Amino acid sequence: MKKILRILISSGILLSFLLLSGCLKLDQNQSALDPKGPVASQQADAFYVTLYLTTFLWIVVGGALLWAVWRYRKKKNDDPSELPEQTHGHPLIEVGLILFSAACLVVVAIPTLQGILMTKTLPEEYEEGAITVNVTGYQWWWAFDYPEEGVTTANELVIPVGKAVKLNLRSADVIHSFWLPKLAGKVDLMPGQENFMWLQADEPGMYWGQCAEFCGDSHAYMLFRARAVPEEEYREWLANLKAGPEIPVDTPESEMSADFSDQILHGKKVYMKNCYSCHMIGGKGGVNGPNLTNFGGRATIAAGWMDNNTDNLFRWIKEPHKIKPGNYMWYGVPMKTPGGGMMVMDGLSKADLSDDDIHAVVSYLQTLK
Amino acid sequence: MSATAPTNTGIPNKKLAMWAFLASDCMFFGTLISTHLIYRRVNPDVVIDGSVVPVTNIFDIELTSASTFILLMSSLTMALAVSAMHKHNIKAARNFLLGTILFGSLFIGAQVYEFNHFVHGTDIAPSLTLTNTIFGSTFYVLTGTHGVHVLLGLIWLTTWYFFSFSKKFGEEHVMDVEITGLYWHFVDIVWVLIFPLVYILEYI
Amino acid sequence: MAYGTTTSTTHDSGQEKPQRSFFGLVQRPQNGCHPVIDWLTTVDHKKIGIMYGGFALLFLIVGGLEALLIRAQLFLPENDLVTARVYNQLFTMHGTTMIFLAVMPLNAAFFNYFMILQIGARDVAFPRLNAFSLWSFVAGAVLINLSWFWEAFHGGWFGYAPLSGIDYNPGMGADFWILSLQILGVASLAASFNFITTILNMRAPGLKMMRLPVFTWMTLITSFLIILAFPAITIALLQLMFDRHFGTHFFDATFGGKPVLWQHLFWIFGHPEVYILILPAMGIVSEVLPTFSRKPLFGYPLIIMSGAFIGFLGFAVWSHHMFTVGLGVVATIAFSLMTMLIAIPTGVKIFNWIGTLWGGKISFTTPMLFSLGFIWMFMMGGFTGIMHSSVPVDHQQQDTYFVVAHFHYVLIGGSVFALFSGLYYWMPKISGKFMNEVWGRVNFWTMFVGFNLAFFPMHLLGMTGMPRRTHTYLGDMGWNEWNAWSTVGAMILGLGIASTIIQIIHTCIKGEKCGDDPWDARTLEWATSSPPKDYNFARIPEINARDQVWADKYGKPEEKSGLGQPEAHGIHMPDRSWYPLSASFGLFMVGLGMVFHKRNFLGWDHTLEMAIIGGVIILASIYAWAFEGPRGYHLHPEKD
Repeated sequence: MKKILRILISSGILLSFLLLSGCLKLDQNQSALDPKGPVASQQADAFYVTLYLTTFLWIVVGGALLWAVWRYRKKKNDDPSELPEQTHGHPLIEVGLILFSAACLVVVAIPTLQGILMTKTLPEEYEEGAITVNVTGYQWWWAFDYPEEGVTTANELVIPVGKAVKLNLRSADVIHSFWLPKLAGKVDLMPGQENFMWLQADEPGMYWGQCAEFCGDSHAYMLFRARAVPEEEYREWLANLKAGPEIPVDTPESEMSADFSDQILHGKKVYMKNCYSCHMIGGKGGVNGPNLTNFGGRATIAAGWMDNNTDNLFRWIKEPHKIKPGNYMWYGVPMKTPGGGMMVMDGLSKADLSDDDIHAVVSYLQTLK
Repeated sequence: MSATAPTNTGIPNKKLAMWAFLASDCMFFGTLISTHLIYRRVNPDVVIDGSVVPVTNIFDIELTSASTFILLMSSLTMALAVSAMHKHNIKAARNFLLGTILFGSLFIGAQVYEFNHFVHGTDIAPSLTLTNTIFGSTFYVLTGTHGVHVLLGLIWLTTWYFFSFSKKFGEEHVMDVEITGLYWHFVDIVWVLIFPLVYILEYI
Repeated sequence: MAYGTTTSTTHDSGQEKPQRSFFGLVQRPQNGCHPVIDWLTTVDHKKIGIMYGGFALLFLIVGGLEALLIRAQLFLPENDLVTARVYNQLFTMHGTTMIFLAVMPLNAAFFNYFMILQIGARDVAFPRLNAFSLWSFVAGAVLINLSWFWEAFHGGWFGYAPLSGIDYNPGMGADFWILSLQILGVASLAASFNFITTILNMRAPGLKMMRLPVFTWMTLITSFLIILAFPAITIALLQLMFDRHFGTHFFDATFGGKPVLWQHLFWIFGHPEVYILILPAMGIVSEVLPTFSRKPLFGYPLIIMSGAFIGFLGFAVWSHHMFTVGLGVVATIAFSLMTMLIAIPTGVKIFNWIGTLWGGKISFTTPMLFSLGFIWMFMMGGFTGIMHSSVPVDHQQQDTYFVVAHFHYVLIGGSVFALFSGLYYWMPKISGKFMNEVWGRVNFWTMFVGFNLAFFPMHLLGMTGMPRRTHTYLGDMGWNEWNAWSTVGAMILGLGIASTIIQIIHTCIKGEKCGDDPWDARTLEWATSSPPKDYNFARIPEINARDQVWADKYGKPEEKSGLGQPEAHGIHMPDRSWYPLSASFGLFMVGLGMVFHKRNFLGWDHTLEMAIIGGVIILASIYAWAFEGPRGYHLHPEKD
C-alpha cells in the first residue's frame, strides 16, 4: 500500500510541476501543436490520435501493472513456504493480446497513410494559385528562390496566405532540414538530391522556422522566418523585390544623388569593396552569401537569430564569428576549383574595417527597402 | 577446452565459430557489393576526363576469367588437402596445401597485374584510379577487400604448410585445416559472386 | 589468487616446465602469480565480467559528466558555459560513450559472468578470445577518450556524411571516432562469436534450448544481432575513412556520391544496435520478476519467440530514422508499417511481465523496484516510439527533443534501470555480500524521480519546436522553464547513479555476507557458491527442468537435477595468457598510428611506423597465441 501511495504521490508531484511550470502552454513560436495550415493540421491530428491511443494504453496497461503490484504484494503475515500458483502462461490470453495490439496499430496506420499520401505531391485541390520556391540550404543560412518570378531572397520567406507553396529543397553543402512547425513537418535538404514538400498558411502572420538537422558549429543559429501575407501584399513585395534597390548597387558615386548622406555613400563604397563579391543586391553581386535585396525590410538578421536593428547589424558585421562560430563571412568561403584545388574567398577577418566603416555600411543596408 | 570435447550440437567449437564468422563476413561483403551495385544503378555512366568510358574497355575479361578459374582450382586443391588430412596422408595434404597457395598467389598476382593496367590506362581506356570516379572508388575497395581476405588466407595456409613439416602436425589438426578450408572456400564463393556482379554485368 | 579452497596441480599435458611467453621473456602466468598479472592475463569469465562491469561503470560516469555539462549549458537560454564547438563535442561523445562504452560493456559484463553459469558451463568456448574482447574494448575506449586531449569528434554519434567528411570536419576528431569504433567493433564481434558457440555447444546435459533462462536466450539473440549488424557500420566507417584520406567519393555529392548511403548503412547497423542494447535488459527483467513474484515467467515460449522476432524484424525497419530524408512513397510506407509491426512483440513482452506478477507474491526488493520501474518507463518509451512510427507525426518529431525523450526513456528508463536491477540482483552472487536494501531503495527513487523530471519535459520541448543538437536557444521561445527543470532532474539522476556506484564499492569492502541463494531464486547461477569457485560447478548437473534450481527446491521428483559426472582427472582449467592483452595493444597502436598519420603525435611524426609495428604485434600475438594453445591445469575440489 505504501509503495503504491508513494508512486502515485511522486507522479502527482512531478506532473503538477510540469503543468504549473508551463501551464501547458502549447502555442510557442515554433509549436507543432498550434498548426496554421493544412499540412501541419493533419500532422497534429495524427499526433493526437497516437496520443489518445497511447494514453488509453497507458491507463489500461499501466493500470494493470499498478493493480498487480498492489494486489499481489507479499503481505507481512504471509506464510513464506506457501507458493503462489505456478502458472506458466495462458495461450488464449496471449494470442488475444497480440490481436488487440495489432488492432490498436491499425488505428495509427490510417492517419499515417493519409499523411504520407497528402504530402508526397501537391494534392489537386490545392493547385490553384500555388507558388513555387526553391530552397537551398547553406551553412548556416537559407536561400529562397522564386523561379516563376525570377527573384531571390534569403532567410525570410514571404508567402501568400491561403495559397499552397511548393518547396524544392536542395543543399549546397551538408545536410540541413527545413522546419516550419506551424505550417508543416520538416523535410531534409540533402546534397546531391532534390526533395519536395508543400505547405500553406491559412492565417497571415510571422512563422518561425529552424534548421532541424545538425549541420555544424552554428546549427543552433540557423533559423528563418516565413511571413504569410494577403495576396496583394505578396504581389507588392514581389514587385518591390524585382525592382530592386532605388539605385543599382554598382552605381558610381558621381552619379549618386545628393539625397544620400555622406555616411550612406561611404557605406555603399565599403560595401562594394568588401561585400559585393559574395552578396547580391538587385541582381548584381556574388552568390556565396545571402541575397541582400531589400534587406532593410527584413525582420531579422543572421538567419533569424537577431532582430534587424542598428545595434545588432553593427555587431553582426563587426564580429560575426562571435555570434555564429565558424561563420564564413568572417573566415572566408572555401571553394573547390576545377582540378581538385581549393581557394578561399577572403572574409571580413582580412578586411580590417573600422567602426566608422561598419556604421556606414549599416546605414547603407538600412536604405535597402 | 579441447577441440574434440563433446558439444551439444555435435559441431566442434572452432568450426561453429568459423561458421558464425563467415555469416558475419557475408554481411560485410554484402554491404560492399550492394554499395557497388547501387552506384552502378545511380551513376550508370563512368566519366573519366570529361568523356564517358564503357567499362568493358577498361576490363580485360579474359584475364579475369582465367584468374577466376585459377581461384576455383585453388578451392579444389584445398578440398583435396582436407580430404588427404582426413585420410591421414600428411604428405599429400602438404602438397595440396602448396597447390592452394600457388594458385591463390597466382590469383593475387593476376589482380595486381590487372589493377596496374587499369591505373595506368591502355590505348582504348583511360586510367581508372581509386579517386577519379565513383566506379573506381567502389570497385577497388570491394575487390581490394576481397584481395586482403585472400592474402590473409594465404598467410594462414603458408603457416600450415611450414607447420606440416613439424612432428606435432597430425591428428588434432585435421579439423583445424578443415576450418581453414571453410574460410578459403568462403573467400572463393565471394569471388564467384563478385565476378558476375561486377565484371560480367558490364557486358550485358 | 584463486577463490575457494581447492588443491591444484599444475598439469601440462606431458610437460613439466610451465610455458613461456613473449619469446621466452616471461613465464606464462600460473596460479599464485601477482594479482595485477592475474587480472591482466586472466581468461576466467567471471574476472573478465567484473572488469567489463568496472570499465562500464567508469564510462557511465564519464558519459554522465558529459551529459551534465550539456544540461548545464541548456539550463539558461543563450548560455555560454561552453562554446558551440565544445557542446557539439559533448553530445557526440556522450552518445558514443553511453552506447559503446557503458551500456554494451555492462551487458557484456552480465553475459560473461552469468550466461556461462546459467548454462551450467565452466567457461566460454574460447577463454583467451574472451579476454581479447575485453582488452580490445579497453583499447577502443581509451582511444576515443584520448581524443579529448587533441580534438574530440563533433559530428554527432551518428556522424552523418558529408558533415563528417574531410571538407567539413578536417580535424582529427572524426578519425579518432572512426578508428575507435572499428576497434570496438572487433571486440564486440569476437565476443559474439564466443557467446554463440558457447550457448549452442556447451550447455549442461539435458539443458535443451527451451529450458534456457530468458537472459541466456537474449544473450544468444543479441550476439546474432551483433555479428550481422556490425559489418554494415564497419563498411560505412571504412568508406568514410577512404573518403576522408584516400580521395574516394562514396559520400561526395559533388562527384556523384550519395550522402544518403551513409545513413542507410549507419542505420542498418544502428537499428539492430538499439535492440542489442535493450534485449539483454529485457532478459534481466525476465529473471528478476519471476524470482520476486515467486512464480515462473508468464508465457516463456512467447517471450523467447518475440525476442527472436524483434531481432529479425529489427533488420527491416532501419529507415524509420530517415523518414524526412526523401525516401519515396513506397519505402516510407513499408518502413512505417514494419515499425508498427515491431511494436507487437514488444507489447507482448510487457503483457507477459505483468502476467508474471499477476497472482504472485511480490516482494519489493531493490532489484524488483528497478525492474518494475523498467516496465513503467520502457512502456512510456514504447508509446512515443509508436508515435514516431507514424510518418506524418514523425515529420514534426524527428530531430527534436521529442526523440531525445523517447530514446532516453527506453535507454535509461529501459536499459539502465534493467542493468541496475541486474546489479542489485546479482551483486550478492558476484561479491558474496548483501547490498543494503534501504540505501538501494533511496537510489532507486532518486533515479526514478530524477530521470522523469529530466526527460518528461523534453516531450513538451520537442512538440513546441525545440530541435536537437542545438547548443543554445533564444529566451523568448517558451522553452526556458522546461529546460531548467530538465537540468535539475538530470542532476538528481546523476546523484542517484553516483550513489549506486558508491554503494557497489562500499558493499564489496564492507557488505554483510550472504549465502548461495539469498533471493530463493530459480536459475543455475544460484546453485554455485557466492562468489562461485573458479570452476563454477564441482560437477556439471544433469538438467531436467526449466528453472532447475527452483525445481530442485519445490518441483516434482522427475524435475530434480541429476548430480552430474565427476571429472576423473580433476577439473581442467585453461591457463592465463599474455597474448589477448598484447594483441589488443597492437590494435591500439594501429588505431593510434592511423589517427595521427600525416600529423605528429606528441612531436613525433613516424606514426605510419607506429601503425605498422602495431600490425606486426597483432600478427605475432596471434601466432604465439595459436602455438601456445590453451594448455591449463587441473583443480580437485575438496568436496562435491
